[in-house]
Amino acid sequence: MLGMEAEMLKGHLDAIVLAALEAGPAHGYAIIETIKSRSASTFDLPEGTVYPALHRLEQAGLLASAWMTPPNGRRRRVYSLTKAGSAALADRRKAWGRFAQAVDTLLTGGRAWPA
Amino acid sequence: MAGVIDDYVASLRRELDFDPALAQRLASEVEDHLRDAAEADPAWPSTEAERRAVERFGLGREIAAQFAVDAVDRQVRRTWITLLVTMVVTFVAMRLRVMWLDDGAVFALAPLVDRYAFIAAIGVAAIGWFAFRHSLLTLAICLGGLSASIAAGIVRAGLFAQGAPLHVLLAAAGEIALIGLLSFHVIGLGRRLKRTAVLRRIGR
Repeated sequence: MLGMEAEMLKGHLDAIVLAALEAGPAHGYAIIETIKSRSASTFDLPEGTVYPALHRLEQAGLLASAWMTPPNGRRRRVYSLTKAGSAALADRRKAWGRFAQAVDTLLTGGRAWPA
Repeated sequence: MAGVIDDYVASLRRELDFDPALAQRLASEVEDHLRDAAEADPAWPSTEAERRAVERFGLGREIAAQFAVDAVDRQVRRTWITLLVTMVVTFVAMRLRVMWLDDGAVFALAPLVDRYAFIAAIGVAAIGWFAFRHSLLTLAICLGGLSASIAAGIVRAGLFAQGAPLHVLLAAAGEIALIGLLSFHVIGLGRRLKRTAVLRRIGR
């Protein structure tokens, strides 16, 4: 079942990465750790999968990145949401809300949606 | 002695050879990631900790294949934008030539090729935009049509080279520069499509 969940996650990876950066700038490893901890390790994708998504989102202007070196640490590329990225995240949340509600209604046999 | 992480990063860099700038940047980023992951492993420091970090990261070829697909998308966008600009400039240059030249009786073939090769390129591009946007063949046909049109246009202008106004010559120079850029993008797209196909086949 984990394979199916991982496949489902792939289609929403860009939105999930945007959401992981909502709290503040982070580097790739921290983003993966955030996704794992928030999903209680349900989504256990290969960690490298996040880098094509980060690059794609940066190319689209939804993320910005810069190399940073903490006082006692290793140099890392840190990503942050741009204004366009925050707007895109809000849009994707709305779209996901509508989609999830519709699918939930269909799967649980509830009343037609929207009523 | 090179460690597991060093070997992995070197192989990833090789897989990303279709974009050297990306390969350089990602190699540094991935190495940082893998060292963080290995250091967080209870078995650190050890080869086993590095091996587990690499395993969790995923196959280099699969990651490179994802980058290659994105690179194809970007290259397709760049090529179509260049094609559109080339068409506009070719059309303007053609109109300038028509306004200046009266070559109908001198050499009948060049004006026909100039016009109809251009129209054919527009037709193929219009169909390709809606149905075959990622098709190398569509873009190659458009490139061929525009090249034929521009070559015929230059032959036309060449017949009257002496005394040609500056704006006609500049338009022809613009056409040549753009067809060069378009050729470069079409060839680049071909290389990226081929690389993506290879990476996807191996990654399976």
